Amino acid sequence: MTAEVAGRTGRSRWFWAGLMFASFGAIAALRITDAIGKSTGFILLACTMLLIIPLTRAGLAHQRTTGRLSPAVVRYTRRFTVASLGYMLGLGIAITLSQRMELSGAGAFAIALLPVLPIFAMIWTMARYLIEEDDEFLRHRATMASLFGLGLVLAAGSFWGFLETFGVVPHIDAWWTFPVWAIGMGIAQCWMGWRDRAGAES
Amino acid sequence: MLDGLARPGRGRIVKNRLKVLRAERDWSQQDLAQRLEVSRQSVNAIETGRYDPSLPLAFRIAALFDMPIEAIFTPD
Repeated sequence: MTAEVAGRTGRSRWFWAGLMFASFGAIAALRITDAIGKSTGFILLACTMLLIIPLTRAGLAHQRTTGRLSPAVVRYTRRFTVASLGYMLGLGIAITLSQRMELSGAGAFAIALLPVLPIFAMIWTMARYLIEEDDEFLRHRATMASLFGLGLVLAAGSFWGFLETFGVVPHIDAWWTFPVWAIGMGIAQCWMGWRDRAGAES
Repeated sequence: MLDGLARPGRGRIVKNRLKVLRAERDWSQQDLAQRLEVSRQSVNAIETGRYDPSLPLAFRIAALFDMPIEAIFTPD
């Protein structure tokens, strides 16, 4: 079966994304209400993260049908999927270890690296995409999206930092920088994609 | 601001005849994209004036239509 056929007959990326976020919400609700323990919660979260595989496949099939799929996009998506799964695994191990033992010194440094190394891999993946993408328009869009994400991180981080200094808001861990950057990048890509569709040939 | 990200450098608009030239040959955007080895989104963005191609891509477009660049792209 070709990817085009799979894209037409398989479930859409929105279905898989919705299922993934609904699962995250359900697991969070079960944890908040103490219906499940920490270990069960992590196992369910890990299982839910596997939904990223069909989500990725559906996303690639969609991009193929809209003519946005380049070899660089395929490599980027595969690398990012592997890094995301590695992040989930590293994060789970790091949280579990931090809850079960007193961390300090070199041990804490090593355990902190578990979720961070996959994040480094994600950043490297983004850099490789910008290097490997031959389509200058797609490269331009990815650059603009990452710049928007960076702008969001700098603006939100600076504002929150001063609010925290003045005691208005609670402390937020610095690892939020990467998710905020990724959210900003996603917002910009969605916006530019919407603009593309609005200007597409009838 | 997001609008500006999608089409930076406003005020330096370059017009082009890509849509007309494509229509004369009865090519779809996908056909043209394949001939230029770019994405359909690239063709769409150039045609609608949301993206100005680089000089190498402009030369490829000119070579494909067998025309000088200035016959396809003109300053606004």
